[in-house]
Amino acid sequence: MTTGQVQILNGNTFVVSDDRGDIQASSTDPTGLFSFDTRHLSRWVLTFDDQRLTALSTDDLQYFESRFFLVPGTGTVYVDAKQTVIRRRVADGFQEELTILNHADDPIDVKVRIEAASDFADLFEVKDALEKKGSYSTDVADGRLRLTYRRDTFVRSTLISASEPCQIDPDGLTFQIHVEPHDAWLTDIEVSISFLEAGQSEAGERRTALAWQSPSPATDMAQDLRSWLDETPRLECEWEPLLRSYRRSLVDLAALRFSPISAGGRSLPAAGLPWFMTMFGRDSIFTSLQALPFSPELAATTLRELGLRQGTRFDDFRDEDPGRILHEMRYGEMTAFEERPHSPYYGSADATPLYVVLLDEYERWTGDVQLVRELEYEARAALTWIDAYANLQGNGYLSYQRRNEATGLENQCWKDSWDSISYHDGRLAGFPRATCELQGYAYDAKMRAARLARTVWGDPTYADQLEKQAADLKERFNRDFWVEDGEFFALALDADGAQVDSLTSNIGHLLWSGIVDEVKAERLAQHLIGDRLFSGWGVRTMAVGEGRYNPIGYHVGTVWPFDNSFIAWGLRRYGFKEEAAIVAEGILEAAEFFDGRLPEAFGGYPRDMTKYPVQYPTACSPQAWSTGAPLLLLRTMLGLEPVGNNLVVDAALPRTIGRLELLDIPGRWGRIDAFGRGRVDTLLMTG
Amino acid sequence: MADSISDFFERLGERGYEPLLGHMRGAVRFDVRGNDGEVDQWVVAVDRGAVTVSHGSADADCVISADGALFERLIDGEENAISAVLRGALRVSGDVEMLLTIQRIFPGPPSSQRTTVGQQGGSQ
Repeated sequence: MTTGQVQILNGNTFVVSDDRGDIQASSTDPTGLFSFDTRHLSRWVLTFDDQRLTALSTDDLQYFESRFFLVPGTGTVYVDAKQTVIRRRVADGFQEELTILNHADDPIDVKVRIEAASDFADLFEVKDALEKKGSYSTDVADGRLRLTYRRDTFVRSTLISASEPCQIDPDGLTFQIHVEPHDAWLTDIEVSISFLEAGQSEAGERRTALAWQSPSPATDMAQDLRSWLDETPRLECEWEPLLRSYRRSLVDLAALRFSPISAGGRSLPAAGLPWFMTMFGRDSIFTSLQALPFSPELAATTLRELGLRQGTRFDDFRDEDPGRILHEMRYGEMTAFEERPHSPYYGSADATPLYVVLLDEYERWTGDVQLVRELEYEARAALTWIDAYANLQGNGYLSYQRRNEATGLENQCWKDSWDSISYHDGRLAGFPRATCELQGYAYDAKMRAARLARTVWGDPTYADQLEKQAADLKERFNRDFWVEDGEFFALALDADGAQVDSLTSNIGHLLWSGIVDEVKAERLAQHLIGDRLFSGWGVRTMAVGEGRYNPIGYHVGTVWPFDNSFIAWGLRRYGFKEEAAIVAEGILEAAEFFDGRLPEAFGGYPRDMTKYPVQYPTACSPQAWSTGAPLLLLRTMLGLEPVGNNLVVDAALPRTIGRLELLDIPGRWGRIDAFGRGRVDTLLMTG
Repeated sequence: MADSISDFFERLGERGYEPLLGHMRGAVRFDVRGNDGEVDQWVVAVDRGAVTVSHGSADADCVISADGALFERLIDGEENAISAVLRGALRVSGDVEMLLTIQRIFPGPPSSQRTTVGQQGGSQ
């Protein structure tokens, strides 16, 4: 996000403008009013007697509301500012309340104009600067301006109207206004979006399938945010930065909630704001896991909605198989015309086993066996996918290779950039690729599903079978992936079944999954907090000394807060409490430098070299799984673990944190409080 | 009306139980417009996976309308229902969740039928 840009949103409808509230998008400039992955306003410029305005201040009051204080003129000195213009904007569709205050002793007569236009670009077109294939039209009727884009049966419209009298022309709205001395003039401007042409029934609009998700009014949104904050656990802590991170995470997570119309008003976490306000299998699952002790309903909705869209057939264009959990859903023109495969796209190798992991973890926290019963078919189909359709190397390991060579994803694990899977010498591995963490997830999915089969589905035979498969996988994995001379697990097996022998953060996910033999775990823990992987702020995606290591390489050296939160969980799983506390402390201290909002990734430079974490430039902030990282770190530091109907607390906090209380943790026990005191001397451990 | 469409609905009715529709309770009506402008209607009623198909008009929780040519491509797997809805080629009114559910019965593209990449497991 460029400096000076302001955004508000409601679900997948959002506005990105400059600090005056104006939008002047070019084909590649990502500002505008967007809804369902389509830009509905690319020009929205306010003038005062044909002059642009200057911003005095801008308030991002809430994620769904902002206010711009402006004065006429674009000069550098505001000597003659006798009027103030206030634009208050809320994301209910898109509403703008325009107020002109006349501070002078004389009345004024001015021309206030808003210019409006739309290029109806698909988000993908904005990203790749592509040409439009349809045609545009504009009409003025019934007191409103209608901008329309049409390509065959595909229609998108923007409707603009105002509460005060105005002249409407194809390029905008003009108000000739008179304001008495020390008086004010005010109008409401409403911008709504439509999927129909002029003349078609508007009444039916909300009911058409494209209104998958209808924005709720801002007053409800304010109330909704308050009740969200009321319902999540309260944190008390002596270390102020953690309180700030926690509060920031909860508010950001509220903003990141996305409610598909099929969810009946319930929400799941979208991947990131604003460009990734859609359902992602991997991101929605990881974030739901992180947020389980704080808001378990997110997991329930994620499970239901991903289950509803689970793959049922083979479709090479979408990389779809029966039982596969989706990667990403999009609603724009390119998806509609199959120029992109996101309807939905299934090219993710980890979302499917992780779906089963989330189902079990959700039940362990909430005791909601009803949902586990309801999703038995989906869980079994997911498990079948692992063995029947993802064993692409034929050696019993979960691997991936896209079938859509044109627009599918090459890397279908979380490290999805082109150069993420390389050998120690820097060469890239061939396809199919069986990355190590996928085997961990598959193992964990089978073990957890065995528990569900035995306790909920009443199928002990299936449980035995899954446990046997898991034990066999664990044995083979500890043999085939173990890099003897380095004493760690290889990043992947390549197409020939040979080890891709780089040391990476993926070994932390292996601890989380439980696939690691006890005797090997300590060596992994040492690697994770050793100099090659641990920067002082967190665990690097790739270790120093690997061929492709680069401290600012997206997946080959940067530190990802989300990755670290799962690594900390993994360390706890194998009893490495102090090591987990070190990782938690590094990430939470880094958060201080970002005002409590952890970025997607930051540089892997050693902490003593830069003194502060160097942010990796990304367009998307906040990002859901970074937002969830402090939540999961709180869980791991407190050692929260549901056991039967009880919540076990086994705190191991870094000394920095002092006393910590997490109050009213929801779960199958009702509500419960957890306490801890910082005792882990992290300096002693790493020094 | 093309025979392939009648065949599709008749075979669907003969399935009795369809696990892909295991969560569904309700009725979806397909309004299929022929070249002559006549609308042929099929109602698929589902009670937790138990499927009953009837020909003709009836109230439904969700109505899906398309022209005959598009509908033939859907049942052949040449067309994807979600893309068609986004494009405005397939119109839906009523309960959208039912559209997402019922479209699971359509096959994938014939050209995608298990291309082999490495060694594959058997089909389900």
